[in-house]
Formats: sequence, C-alpha cells, structure tokens
Amino acid sequence: MPISLHVNGEHHNVDVAPTRRLLAVLREDLALTGAKHGCGEGACGACAVLLDGRPVASCLLPVGAAEGRTVTTIEGLGEQAAALQEAFVAEDALQCGFCTPGQIVSASALLAAVERPDRDRIRTALAGNVCRCGAYPKIERAILRASGQELA
Amino acid sequence: MKPRLVKSQREMEGRFEDVWVLVDEDDEVESWPEDAELDVVGKPATRLDGPVRTSGAAHYTVDVALPGMLHALILRAHVARARLTGLDVEAARATPGVRAVLGPGDATAMGGDPVLTDEPGWAGAPIAAVAADTPDAAAAGLAALAPAYETLAPLEVDGGLEEQRFTEEPRETVRGDPDAGLAAADARIELTCETPAHVQSPLEPHAAVARWDGDSLTAWVSTQGMFDARRELARRFGLLTEQVRVISEFIGGGFGAKQGAGVEALLAAELARATGRPVRLALGRHEEQVVGGRRAWTRQTVTLGARSDGTLTGIELAAVVAMGAGGWIFPVAEPALSIYACPNVRTMVFPVRTSLRAQNAFRAPGVVEGVTVLEQAIDELAGALGMDPLELRRANHVDRDQGSGLPYSSKRLLACYDRASELAGWAARDALREPQADGLLRGMGCASQIWWGGGGPPAHATVRLDSEARALVTTGIQDIGTGTLTSARIVAAEELGLPLAHVVARGGDTAPNLYGPVAGGSMTTPAVMPAVRSAAGKVRRILLSLAADVLEIAAADLTISDGRIRSRDGALDVDVVEVTGKLGNATIDGTGARGPNPDGFRVNTFGCQIAQVAVDPGTGVVAVERVVAVHDVGRIVNPLAASSQAEGGVIQGIGYALSEELVVDPTTGMPVNGHLDDYKVPTIADMPEILVDFPNVADPNLPNLGAKGLGEPPIVPTAAAIANAFAHATGRRAAALPLTPARVLEVLA
Repeated sequence: MPISLHVNGEHHNVDVAPTRRLLAVLREDLALTGAKHGCGEGACGACAVLLDGRPVASCLLPVGAAEGRTVTTIEGLGEQAAALQEAFVAEDALQCGFCTPGQIVSASALLAAVERPDRDRIRTALAGNVCRCGAYPKIERAILRASGQELA
Repeated sequence: MKPRLVKSQREMEGRFEDVWVLVDEDDEVESWPEDAELDVVGKPATRLDGPVRTSGAAHYTVDVALPGMLHALILRAHVARARLTGLDVEAARATPGVRAVLGPGDATAMGGDPVLTDEPGWAGAPIAAVAADTPDAAAAGLAALAPAYETLAPLEVDGGLEEQRFTEEPRETVRGDPDAGLAAADARIELTCETPAHVQSPLEPHAAVARWDGDSLTAWVSTQGMFDARRELARRFGLLTEQVRVISEFIGGGFGAKQGAGVEALLAAELARATGRPVRLALGRHEEQVVGGRRAWTRQTVTLGARSDGTLTGIELAAVVAMGAGGWIFPVAEPALSIYACPNVRTMVFPVRTSLRAQNAFRAPGVVEGVTVLEQAIDELAGALGMDPLELRRANHVDRDQGSGLPYSSKRLLACYDRASELAGWAARDALREPQADGLLRGMGCASQIWWGGGGPPAHATVRLDSEARALVTTGIQDIGTGTLTSARIVAAEELGLPLAHVVARGGDTAPNLYGPVAGGSMTTPAVMPAVRSAAGKVRRILLSLAADVLEIAAADLTISDGRIRSRDGALDVDVVEVTGKLGNATIDGTGARGPNPDGFRVNTFGCQIAQVAVDPGTGVVAVERVVAVHDVGRIVNPLAASSQAEGGVIQGIGYALSEELVVDPTTGMPVNGHLDDYKVPTIADMPEILVDFPNVADPNLPNLGAKGLGEPPIVPTAAAIANAFAHATGRRAAALPLTPARVLEVLA
C-alpha cells in the first residue's frame, strides 16, 4: 500500500515498505539528496530533517512513522533557513560541507524554538551534529549571527 | 615561451624524490614586496561554493544518481585472518535483482594485483562484490554469499618485536654519538607513552560511481587525488589517460584517508563494465571506520639528556608502530631528529605487522605521533631541570635542518612562542594550580610544531578572461573543504587587478587535463597558487598590451587594480571593460606552471600551541578550556579559511588527546568500536575557546607567493599540549593516550 507523505509542502505517494527508512525514501525515491547518510545509526546528525517542525534522524525513522506528518528537508526550509545559510557562508561555518545541511536543519529548529539562544543552548541543540572538519567555532558564530546577536 | 625540462626535487610528507619539471621562464613572476599593499590577497573571503553547500544542492559522490545505475556492496572478512573455505557465488547470482557478482579469482578486465582475496590477512579485507538494482537487493545478494572461513589467530602488536614480525626492515637513524651525549648530560629523563589508533572518519565515506561510454570511463570518486585515480584506472583497465575522466567536485572530508581510485572505484568500474550499467559503490559507516584507514597506534620511548642550562646533549627514540598489513612508515622519528638543536640523536622505528588494514595517511601522519610523545618528554626534562617549558624550547631553537645541514627557507618559531605565550597568559600559568572554587584541577601546557608544506612542481593552471572582464581560473585542485579554490580566485584576482567577484575558479575534474597534486601534504596552496598567479600574470601582461593599443599609451605606463586601468600619471582611469569589450567572442588566455623551489633550503612550517585544561578528579573528565594556536606558514592568502583550517586541526587533535581510540578485540583482531556512537569524535559541546594567529610574513626564499601549506600544521602539537597541560594540572602523566575518564581515574588513583 502506498505511503502518503508531505514533504516540503508537496504531497507524495510512495510505494515502499513502511519499515524503509525515511532517509532512503527522501534520497532514493524523491531525489532529495540534501540530507546525508553519514552513519545510518543516528549518531552523526547529517540526515537531520524536520518532522512536524522537530529535528529527527531520518536514517532511523521508518517511513511509515512519517505518514500524515509534515517532513521538511534542507531543500524545503526556504525563508526559515535563509538567514542561517547566509550566516554559515559569511562566518565560514563549513569546510567539506557534508554535515552542513544537517547543521542548518538542527539550527533552524533551535531558532524556531528560541529566538536568541545563548552559547550553551546552541551547544546543547547542535551536539548531535558531528562536523569532522571541526567547523564548530564558526557554526556557533553563524547561529549567533543569524539570530541577530553580537559577535565577539 | 622558452620551455625547458629541468631536474628538481619534490617533497611529499617528508619524502623527497627527483622529478623532471617543465619550466617556462615566462612563468616567473616577481614576489610581492613585503610592504606591498595587496587588494585581495590577505583579506578574508567567503567561499564561492558556500551557498551550494549550505543549500543541500552540492552533489557529493554518494549523491550521484545516473539512469539505470546499479548499487554495489563489498563482502568483507569479519575475522582478521582466515582462509575462505566456502562462498556461494551461485546463490548470490540467483538473488532477485542481482546483476553481477565478483569473487576472489574471478576473471576481470582489471590488471594489476587482485583486490579480492580468499586469504584475508586483515580485518575487513574485501572478499567479493555484488551489484544489484537496489541497495536492498545488493544486501540480499551479499547475504546469500554465506562465506565460511577457517580462522587463524590475529596478529597483535605485542610479540611483534620478539618475533621480528615487521612489514619492512626497522629503521635506525643516528647522528653524532647519542650514547656519549646522554652520558654527558646533567639531567636525563626517559618517557614511554602509547598513542592511539586514530580513525579519519570522514562523514562522506569512501565512494565511487562508474560509467562506461564505449571504451571511455567516467568515474566520480570521493578522493583527494583525482589524477592518481585517473592513472590507476587507466593502468588497471588498459586505457589511455584521455579515456578516463575522474570527477571529484565535492568531497565530504578525507583527512588523508582518500587516496587514488581506491578499491571502491576499481570495483565500481569493473562491475559497470561487466553489467553495461553505471554502478555506485559507497562504504557503510561501520565499513568506513574499520577499513577506511587510521593513524597507527604507537608505543614510543624517548630518552633526553641536557646540560643544566637546558642545552640538549642527546635524544634517543624507540618507536613501535602497529602498521597493520603494511603501508608507508610515516616520519614518526622526524620531530626527534629535527625539531630541536641536538648533535647526538638516535631514532629507531619498528614497523610491526598486525591484523588491521595497512596504516594510511591521517593529517600530518607520523609527525603527530612523534610530536605527541617527544613534546611530553621535553616537558618532563623541563621539570627535571627546573626550567620553564617554553624557555627550554627556546634554548634549543635551531635555524637549519640538521639532517641535510641546509638552512630553513624561513622560520619564525620564536615569534610563535612569544605570541602564543602572550595570548594564553603563560606567565600566570602556575596560578591555575592553586585550589579552584569549582574543585577542578587546572593546568596549562605547550608544544612545538614542525611539518613540511613547501609544495613544489608539477602543478598547472589556466586563466581565461572574456570580453566582460570575467575571469575563469581552471585548476587541478580537489577542494576537500579547505577552501583552496577560493584561494585560487583570490590569487588570480590580485594578479589580474580585478574584483574578487569577477573571478571564478574550477577544479575537481580531470577533463581539462590541468594537473594538480593530491590534496594532501599541505601542498595545494604552495604548489597550485604560484601556477595560478603565473597564468594570471600572463593574462595581465596581454591585457595591458591591448590596453596600450586601445588607449594609445605605452603598456609600461599603465596599471590595473580593482577592475580599473589607470595611467601612472593619473590622467587616464577607465573600466577594464573599455578594453576587454573590444574582444568580442575572443578571450585572453594564460597558462601557468609551478616552478621548482630554490636549491639550498629546506622548506618547513613551524608553530606553537598552548592548551589549558580542567580535570575533574571525581569523574576523570578532562575538559579543554582554551587552545592558542600560532603557526608560521608564510603568507596567508585567505585569513578566514586559514583560521578555519587551524580550528579544525585543533579540534581533531583534541579528539586524539581525549576520546578517539580504535579498540581491537585481541581474540578476533576485529575493531569493537567501528561506529560513531562508540568511536568518539569531538562535538560542538566539547569545543574550547580557540585563539588562532599567524605571523603572516611571506617566506622570502619561496618564490612567487611566499605561502606555505596549512592543512596539517594545526593538528601536530594539540595532543602534546593537552597532555602537558594535564600533567601540569595533576602532576601525573598517563602512560597512554587518549585521556579518557577511565584512564584518568587510573592515573590519579
């Protein structure tokens, strides 16, 4: 039976097993490759997407559990992430960029919940997003900048 | 143009080889004077590909999807040493959706050493490969192979010395009379420390996509060396290099682990050839952690002797390196041989064969391991002498390479010590050891950095300027995240006198056949940027000559900057488009080639880091509170990207010092923590304050730009500085890194 998904404001019927992971459906069936398969184990955050506005590890989520709920990927964040994307570039908050979509998805969920998060709040919210290149100092700065806060 | 072929020397991570270099005197450009006011070089610039990376639109190799593409998986030995006694290739072939199965000994079109084995000698060795319509079908085919093994005992590092079980002959290097030097010392210390197996863990795993069009092969490869990948694929499949195109536009991290074509591209190409369909082969995370590579585990014993004024009289190093199945012996002894003045040195490196894959490069391979132990020993010596650790380092400063006797082309290490000391508040460090209100034990430690990073030929670039005064720089750069393509834009814009926004740089594709070196060895900036500047210089000279025609004034009386052509007397000031606009569909083209480094010098990079830590004696948790990183890498092309590189190196060094350690089960020889939830890389929550600075003075003896590489230097001293800070805080030194809570509690008990 096809599964009905709402992704980035569009409706999709996908004919896959309900246990198939949401990430695989996004990447392989819907050609949305912004969310990355970093580990497939929920340990790196590169696959982060928003499920009803909250960040989830799409590599662990069975697609059946997303049925009837709103899925937003990096490609569909639109205005919500524009300031973050600009700030990530301005602060050089990325190196290889592979984790960056996940970082921005997590950061946009944070900014939706907290208008002006302090450093501790940023660190807690982003601790599940591994950046192996170590862009962390600048990721922190980019989130402060995107939320209109003073940079040291 | 007067091309000549000359013999020159090329250096890669401390290995020197003689190469023929194509030299054209038109490529020579004047170095910018030290007081030159540059418009673009040295100013912070954001990366051109930033928006495509932040929007999720960048297509990495794992994102490449082609019509009809198959998905391939590799069957790997799940024991470290074994003989294969059963493999059901027919069952795998009969699995629905499976299109091809390759087992050991199967005939392939691929020449060279077989990549599949029925006698796996290391954990995760490739046994077979399956290509299928979907990833699930490939997984089902893999399961159907149902391998059976006769298992053999794994090779551990313990016992390797006694059994003389080496991957190659142990290496001994002797200078002077180390025994006499140590005997003559007023103070003498010995320190033994183990350093962990350190996994590169790029977030994009090793991956390749291969597609054949007749006899031509296109391969998307997540590699740091696309030209090496091209050569390897051409040789293996008996093709001309022009029949192979390698695309490595976006690479999700490498850190040394992604060299050449890799088994992934070879198998993808063979499976694509066998099936007539494009094939994608990407490693899973567990696979990546087990077989992607690692910095080797070492056990090092350092003996130091010094006179009472701190002057070193003797250094001895014995290093056991757990090589795995083989690989290069990285320069673990180099710090002992070169970082401080000492006439009497003996180093011995014992490369023990073990049952992991061959060790491979991980950011400053060898030197990180060597510095991590040597620099702890230097601190122990400072303690024995009652000297300040930074003073002891200053006292043994050396301005020439003691192995070759050649002077360094430039060295501002003393300035790095001064600046780092000032930024860290070194003078007040002992106040940290007073009882703290939060009950934590605090301390501060330093370490010195040495690495190469001078680059060299060959590297090529072209610059093409069009009628709208937009310039395209084409290079052989693989920008693995360092921002080197942005540096190429900066250098070209400076030389052309155009605004940065008018210049675009491309790389990541072998099709233009413009060679660039592997993105490793801190080589890209010092190797490629001079070629870019030479190419831009030729375009600039042509442009000025055309301007002279249009404006009816001698070219020598004209200058270009910020997109304006001006006469030196100030009378003329026109937009560059006034000239280029006359080109119509024509373009101004320039080619540039990297010339050789001057004879008579060694080109190295230097630096100093100071770490402050807080140790919780109750839990054993070590928190790094601040790292100051000051590195002399000559001229800084882009300070924004340079600070990013430095911060990233420091953070990987923190992982090496505190949490990262690949643990092997001695009974099976298999890693037990081959995942990101148990192999702990640093997160944003672990991040200290990081203060970065550079002397930022061009190397006067390095022609063209005076810029050296920065990829590797920042990781070199971090773990040593942290270990020294830990010792300062606690008065104890751990016999092994990383300083995990369990190990710290043991040390403090």
